Amino acid sequence: MTMVGTPPPLPVRGKEGGQGRTQGALSPMLSRLADERATGVLIREHGTLHLSDGHVVHAESRLAPGLDLLLTAHGPLGTADWQQAGRRTDSLPGAARLLLDAGRLTTGVLELCHLGALFDAGYFALAPSSTPGRFRYGIAPGPAPLRPVPVTALERETVRRRELLHRIWPDPATDSAPLIRADPVAAPPVTSRQRAVLELVDGVRAAPDIARELGRRTFQTLVDVRRLAAAGLVAPGTAPGPSPPPLPQVTDPDIALLKRLRDALEAL
Amino acid sequence: MPGIDECLLEAMRVPGARGAALVDWTSGLALGTVGEAPGGDHETTAAEAAELARLAAEHGAFAAEPDGERPPVEDLIVSNRDSYHLLRFVVTSFDSTVFLHLWLARDEGNLALARIRLGEMADRLVLA
Repeated sequence: MTMVGTPPPLPVRGKEGGQGRTQGALSPMLSRLADERATGVLIREHGTLHLSDGHVVHAESRLAPGLDLLLTAHGPLGTADWQQAGRRTDSLPGAARLLLDAGRLTTGVLELCHLGALFDAGYFALAPSSTPGRFRYGIAPGPAPLRPVPVTALERETVRRRELLHRIWPDPATDSAPLIRADPVAAPPVTSRQRAVLELVDGVRAAPDIARELGRRTFQTLVDVRRLAAAGLVAPGTAPGPSPPPLPQVTDPDIALLKRLRDALEAL
Repeated sequence: MPGIDECLLEAMRVPGARGAALVDWTSGLALGTVGEAPGGDHETTAAEAAELARLAAEHGAFAAEPDGERPPVEDLIVSNRDSYHLLRFVVTSFDSTVFLHLWLARDEGNLALARIRLGEMADRLVLA
């Protein structure tokens, strides 16, 4: 009988790292934009961040399901509701705001879905990229932002999420490769969330495809997939997908460098 | 209809409330915090509470008979010499893994009342 190991503890930032200490570690450009309280759109290789007054108000990535999918997959909205609202405005938050004002959505539901989508897409938008990001200054999006997230909060959460994935199973291959089912001798029990993921593993779908299919956030699906990989139930397929994105490494050299700099400055 | 902030402020009106947070238990992220946190650090508290919540939610030993929709566990209670911690899972149809965490001073708090109130708040937060 296989014993199920206790899942690794959720990473906690070291006490020595105060508020905003990882600023600049992921994207120096983003930190600069936050400092100058910029408004506009930062386009990076794996995702887009919408800034308003230096805060992140919206994020999108092709690897993460959008607010519309989260709300319509199992949420309170039908696809028709969403399309109707979408025709009247050109942005996802704008459409959400219309639905909120029309009483089709409640603030709590919208805020939960919006933050879920924002941190999910933001995680991929801040993944290391091979091309430089571009920023388009613009005017603030029409409706008031839902819950603006400080850039430092998104950066710290992104770093923490990388560490969490790394602690569960250090091989990032399962994040992007098509997944295949493995057949361990004594299969450990899985949670119902993991079972739903496992049922969609077919040798073709990769983790982001499974997330989209289930109407779930991709990062939460990566957690399930890495835990399934750690349990020996899934493995990355041999044939890489059509566009496997380079995924975040935990050992971010910029962080190490910044920590050294900080320590040196504090020692002065 | 309340948003996250209104919900947390309401939690602070429970007698004996010292602090409250809305936490995602997959990632340990605090989506909103109010009041004090043990040790003064909401972020660490959220990550540690998330770990406890996840263990309780995922291990069959604590689960009710499965009925498909409801999560296996409703809430968690941790008591110590000077305080209570109450963790209430928020049930949503859409993909979310969040709970409300209420920290109560033991000599002023009423655990039974707080449990009822927090359950109502969790339902109202995501009322469709």
